[in-house]
Amino acid sequence: MTKRLSAEERRASIIKVSKRLFAQNGFHGVSIDEIVKEVGVSPAILYRHFESKDELYEAVLQEFSATRESYVEAVVADDNGFEQVLRSMTTVFVSSIMNHPDMLKMEMHSQLEGSEASQEFFLNRWKSFTDYIEFNLNELQSQKKIKPINAKAAALIYQGIIREVLLQKCMQSTDRFQGTPVSVLVDEVINLFMKIIEVN
Amino acid sequence: MSFDAELDAKGLNCPLPILRAKKAITALSSGQVLKIIATDPGSVKDFEAFCNQTGNELLSSAEAGGAFEFMIKKS
Repeated sequence: MTKRLSAEERRASIIKVSKRLFAQNGFHGVSIDEIVKEVGVSPAILYRHFESKDELYEAVLQEFSATRESYVEAVVADDNGFEQVLRSMTTVFVSSIMNHPDMLKMEMHSQLEGSEASQEFFLNRWKSFTDYIEFNLNELQSQKKIKPINAKAAALIYQGIIREVLLQKCMQSTDRFQGTPVSVLVDEVINLFMKIIEVN
Repeated sequence: MSFDAELDAKGLNCPLPILRAKKAITALSSGQVLKIIATDPGSVKDFEAFCNQTGNELLSSAEAGGAFEFMIKKS
């Protein structure tokens, strides 16, 4: 006999299974039937917690947003020049994704098939970086500490490279950098990025 | 509530509002109050953490019309 779960535990177990399946197969690649089969409940029970697959998907995203990265520590440290804060922020973000690779996989699926809402959700995670880089590069330019640069494009370059690092590291089969820890790879990327923007 | 300086951080994602608040507070003297308006929902937790870590006092934290308003008193 299976143990009777409380409504809350039941809800959590449905979210947990859905997260794994959405990460594997995307929103459209997963059916409610599959989810209930894996959870071991009837569709009626699932619908008692979630009205639709959309609502379930949203609940999974909601759970990710509870694990939202905090960059406060990176920013309040004593010596917080642009490069140092960027390094600390990137470390926080990268380890958060490495701990939740399902989030990155869902983001990839969402790029192809996702609703506007889910794309916005994932974009918003990156906005912390792009905002930070864009704002600071513009400030450094106005102080003539760097050569003129398109700050928005530079922020996009950074987002693209970090995302690629994470793709390499989170999707085992594509890891061309086995043997290079993610922290080393991130360090190298930031070194290269700092060369591009040529801070004096 | 009266304040001595105001920071508009609407539309910015954390940590930028925190970073700008930190700079704005540096320009204040002890006991003066900075008002911050932000739209990132994460800023609520972040400003709490910011004040805990910096020792500045979070006088108030309120939501109105999709924006968040914070009053921080410099220590």
